[in-house]
Amino acid sequence: MLVYKAFFKIIKKNMAQIAIYFVIFLFLAVFLASIYTDPANMDFMESKIDMVFISHDKDSKLVDGLKEFIGERANFIPIANDEQKLRDALFFREVEYIVRVPKGFTQAFMEGEEIRLEKTVVPGSASSVYMDSLINKYLNTARLYVDNIEGLSQQQLADYISEDLSHQAEVLMLNPDPDKRLNEKRTYYFNYLAYSLFAILVLGISAALKVFNQPDLANRNLCSPLRLRDMDFQLILGNICFAILTCLIMILPSFVMYRGHMFTLKGLLFILNTFVFSLAVLGISFLTGNIVKSRNAISAVANVLSLGTCFISGVFVPRDFLGDTLLKFASLTPTYWYVKSNHIIGSMERLKEEDVRAILTSFIVMLVFAVTAFAVSMVLKKQKYMRQVRGF
Amino acid sequence: MVIKVENLTKRYGDLIALDNFNLEVNHGEIFGLLGPNGSGKTTAINCILSLLKYDKGTVKIYNKPMAPDAYDIKEKIGLVMQNVAVFEELTVYENVDYFCGLYIKNKKLRLKLVEEAIDFVGISYYKDFYPKMLSGGLLRRLNIACGIAHQPKLIIFDEPTVAVDPQSRINILEGIQKLNKAGATIIYTSHYMEEVEQICTRIGIMDKGRIIAIGTKEELKDMISSGEKITVELFSMDNKILEDIKGLPHIVSAEYRDNSLIVRSSKGKNNLVSVLDYLKSNDIDFGRIYSEPPTLNDVFLEITGKELRD
Repeated sequence: MLVYKAFFKIIKKNMAQIAIYFVIFLFLAVFLASIYTDPANMDFMESKIDMVFISHDKDSKLVDGLKEFIGERANFIPIANDEQKLRDALFFREVEYIVRVPKGFTQAFMEGEEIRLEKTVVPGSASSVYMDSLINKYLNTARLYVDNIEGLSQQQLADYISEDLSHQAEVLMLNPDPDKRLNEKRTYYFNYLAYSLFAILVLGISAALKVFNQPDLANRNLCSPLRLRDMDFQLILGNICFAILTCLIMILPSFVMYRGHMFTLKGLLFILNTFVFSLAVLGISFLTGNIVKSRNAISAVANVLSLGTCFISGVFVPRDFLGDTLLKFASLTPTYWYVKSNHIIGSMERLKEEDVRAILTSFIVMLVFAVTAFAVSMVLKKQKYMRQVRGF
Repeated sequence: MVIKVENLTKRYGDLIALDNFNLEVNHGEIFGLLGPNGSGKTTAINCILSLLKYDKGTVKIYNKPMAPDAYDIKEKIGLVMQNVAVFEELTVYENVDYFCGLYIKNKKLRLKLVEEAIDFVGISYYKDFYPKMLSGGLLRRLNIACGIAHQPKLIIFDEPTVAVDPQSRINILEGIQKLNKAGATIIYTSHYMEEVEQICTRIGIMDKGRIIAIGTKEELKDMISSGEKITVELFSMDNKILEDIKGLPHIVSAEYRDNSLIVRSSKGKNNLVSVLDYLKSNDIDFGRIYSEPPTLNDVFLEITGKELRD
């Protein structure tokens, strides 16, 4: 097993570079995963919008009531009713919303006529939608009373609306999964693992293969009575052992961090998913090692492959923020399927058939990646060998 | 017969690297393959070892056809390549152990052979060094140790002294002679004629992918018409003297440059004496005198019309 041993000696010499990625992973997994909050589940906090309220309809209890209602949820900025000044205020984001009540608004409203408030907003402002909703809420309530109670005074109307809109409903968030937060953390731990595992395997395996593929060293090996088949076997065995070892080392901190939770079905599925993913990455690393010509380029390739696939597959950025086209493109990488099954494993409450099917599909796709990459590298290697020495 | 190559032809596109190359190497020889850079020496070696496919011809080693899967033949061969081919990530000892291990499965025997090879090339002190820490000369010695550790019967040295310091060069050449005395057949390729003359028992001169002359160094020198080169230190010269010397028996050419008269003679005896007699009889004062026998460069020059180092 000389080739196998030499393979690991080469890996050992590259250990410093490999260790850097392991440290990065530990930082990501331990620190970031522990402070991580899922943006989709963040608590709601009401904020006040800066706006200008201009009324040309004087002595109106309805408009006063509207202003009072909005005033509880917005900051009125005192800006003179001058078109240029108001535009400047919007442009420089001093305010986000300007509402104008036209003259005769209350009378028209009370008589059931169709009349609108005028508004000017910062383009694309999300807050303006919120303000639209508040104004609609007030006026729709007012419309309800006007349409159904005859002879209602403005003061009565304003009082009714004020009382109605002062009611608040208490919402109790029920969490069906008591380990939800822990599962999210575990999901992100294993997602981050994809980056370092990818980088370490490409770096280690490609660097070792590059050494064995050096023309002079390859010729020296070819001159020896060691059969090419035996040499390939030892190299592939070395690759597999290195991948398993790396995988185990990177999974190990999860047992320290999540202890008994790693011995549950979910924990085991996370580990299994990681092993299957490492096989796919192993195949890609094997291919890279046989394709990349320069040793200096290996580090660059390792970074591009690991970072690139992780970014587009939702390791660093939640998938909800990624476009459909990008995700379709990402599905051509094993990282996408790894992250996908991590999320399924992390979010499932119990093992349902559809979850099993989705996880198995991801496993199969990752294994297809592994087999394809291995097959392509072996064909390329064989072709290169045949071109050089065979054919007489 | 150790090696028999017949009509080996190798083309790289339109370029013919080997043109009906023929070679026979016998047991116990140090066979020198001498030729300028690009003459096809390394291509010939690579084809002989089945490291490179060729277009035509046959190669037999130890009377068996050589092929990429002729593992029984490969066991008997050691190769010292032109470029240093070792693992940068392995120490000196680990490198020799690795390459020896490709041939020798018995661990005990391998340990002994590795130690012997390292001692043989004189790098015992550097056993635990990584190749990066070695000088060019020491690297070359490591390269040799990796190629000979399994004590092969046939060793091929492909320009092992390129870019090597004089001390390492002497060490390498002496080592090759020792290996030969120990029973190994050697093929030594080089473009340094002095090295080939010094150690080879038989020499093949290569040019443009074929062997243009073959024999012992004496046989090769006998093939050409020019004989010794006589150089006489003279401080003055006139054309009459030069013409008279050119007219002496067996003198091919005479020229005067840098205060020296350079006379080339054809084969024949007493050429030096006749030149000196002429100078003495004409009362011409002269300084130091050198007489050099023809070199392999002269052989190459006469056959190809160009210098070996061109």
